[in-house]
Amino acid sequence: MTIKLGIVSFAHLHAEAYIHNVRAIPGVEFIGFCDDDAQRGQHFAGQFDARLLPGYEALLNEQPDGVIICSENNKHRPLTEQAAQAGIHVLSEKPLATTLPDARAMIDACNATGVILMTAFPMRFSAPLLEVKASLDAGTLGRVFSFNTTNQGQMPIAHRDWFVDKKLAGGGAMMDHTVHLADILRWFLQTEVAEVYAVNNHIMHKDTVEVETGGMVMLTFPDGTFASIDCSWSKPLNYPTWGGLTMELISERGLTVVDAFSQNLTVYQQSSHSHRWAYWGSDANHAMIEEFAAAIREDRPPVVTGEDGYRAVEIAMAAYRSAETGQPVKLPLK
Amino acid sequence: MKIGIAGTGFMGETHAAGWAATPAAIAGFVGSTPDHARPLADRYHTQVYPDFAAMLAEVDVVDICTPTHLHHPQVLQAAAAGKHIVCEKPLARTLPDAREMIAACEAAGVKLLVAHVVRFFPEYAGAKATVAGGEIGQPAVIRLTRGTFRPKKPVDNWFTDFDKSGGMMLDLMIHDFDYARWIAGEVESVFAKNISSAEPDAPIDYGLAILKHRRGAISHVEGSWAYPPPLFRTRLEIAGSDGWLNHDSDKNAAVGMHLRQPPGEAPDVPIPGSPLAESPYTTQLKAFYNALTSDADVPVTAADGLAALQIALAAIESAQTGKPVDLKALPEVSA
Repeated sequence: MTIKLGIVSFAHLHAEAYIHNVRAIPGVEFIGFCDDDAQRGQHFAGQFDARLLPGYEALLNEQPDGVIICSENNKHRPLTEQAAQAGIHVLSEKPLATTLPDARAMIDACNATGVILMTAFPMRFSAPLLEVKASLDAGTLGRVFSFNTTNQGQMPIAHRDWFVDKKLAGGGAMMDHTVHLADILRWFLQTEVAEVYAVNNHIMHKDTVEVETGGMVMLTFPDGTFASIDCSWSKPLNYPTWGGLTMELISERGLTVVDAFSQNLTVYQQSSHSHRWAYWGSDANHAMIEEFAAAIREDRPPVVTGEDGYRAVEIAMAAYRSAETGQPVKLPLK
Repeated sequence: MKIGIAGTGFMGETHAAGWAATPAAIAGFVGSTPDHARPLADRYHTQVYPDFAAMLAEVDVVDICTPTHLHHPQVLQAAAAGKHIVCEKPLARTLPDAREMIAACEAAGVKLLVAHVVRFFPEYAGAKATVAGGEIGQPAVIRLTRGTFRPKKPVDNWFTDFDKSGGMMLDLMIHDFDYARWIAGEVESVFAKNISSAEPDAPIDYGLAILKHRRGAISHVEGSWAYPPPLFRTRLEIAGSDGWLNHDSDKNAAVGMHLRQPPGEAPDVPIPGSPLAESPYTTQLKAFYNALTSDADVPVTAADGLAALQIALAAIESAQTGKPVDLKALPEVSA
């Protein structure tokens, strides 16, 4: 059974990667995309030689099996609700929403009509992280005590200016870069976060953006396991790549060091006086979209759900509350 | 200038090698027992003093390389004898002890230099100079890691006795608390989590601390006695308003030896290091020698040692209470 997928908006730059994935996955058909920014739509229709539909309703009228929502974060909710009403499965970019009531409404809307709501957490499909997860589950590492993690990036205004708009994005670095690792840590430990402490600042890119650019989050789990997340947009704009995701895991047996984006060639070109990193690791986005299609085909929940997206947003919200009050915040949020 | 070294363990031995590279004369050693001090005294063709008081009578400067809990009585004794003092970090086990030590040295008119040796490691000194030169702008997010295995001692392992050493967070993380403050200025609050071997079911010592600096920077400090021997890793990353720098002992290792070795051949006390013409411990003691023999400012003041202690004790308190600790709430810091 061929799974027909459409892309909703190229506001999020990940759409530029997903379109290749959708086209490359056997048994999946790319039916086209829509974009509420006409100019952006025309631009990417040309760039990817892709079918541009005149609007979201037109896309839904094509009756795809699922849509991948890559709009600004604060539009995930209305777009998801509309898809759910049309009986179309949803894969939404992260963060799932910019408020917890929005995230809950998306889950409810999809439950009401029995469609899938999957959150785009590609790191669940990262080959290095899957290897660590397998070692954890096999007990190879012994009892786990702590994680020191980073999801640092470049300040993303060069990619899309709405990323630094609090209303559209839901926040700055702390909203953008806490959710991936919050999700990975919940997945690794198979338990919810009990408490969140966080600080943030606005020293880097102070004159360019209004949102926070530096942030540090500490999660504590019910059994006392703790994990820090550096969510800062602290990679310089001339760094060889957008950023990265690292983890140091302390367990009974010792230390496990993870650099999820280290699988690069270093390439120097003399004539341009430049160098770059050429990534040769596996494509986690590809595996994530395969899972979305497989869940639709097999009529089952995906391995990453809307609930997972909700929990990650809740952790980011708690981080903001903690940074504001200076005190740890207990979960679940009331 | 005659130096007397108190403490003939790993740090006394390391300092002796450093002093030997300065014009100062090593007058002798005092150890936990005379027998323990003998090999080191023989190596430097000098004497073993029967006790600390006997050594004080015969030296100009005393270098205190003893376990942390002994710093307080020995500094007071040395100050009373009018001797200048080099003291290993942490300056003291408690803040009142440290304040009393500083006051006693001020009253006696003797110098008190605290051996925060990390400031003399060229990668750390170089990063400080780079930041001070303005090359990466205002520091915003600082990440510091220092990790190794739990130190051993043939007998009386004071490192693992919390009352004597303050545990890993005081003994090891204080290096990076001092460094974070040196880079980003005074600390406003500390939040920390740890696993301590003081707990019955915890086989390791490990901690993470988040510091908020008054000028707005954030520091993340990781300390570990949780690695298998002989691993020792240090990392330093500073992101600023106009750039970024890092050091990573894994990636910047100049020599890697992966040798077949009999099991269990790890040193008792780990030491970080990269091959250098001069050991950072020697660099430190040369700077201290200059400060002790001239009017030059001391490179690390007693107030620096006190401030680092204050941060470390706040981190320990935070880890124990689960609450952030506001440094403003601590007693007034003089000196």
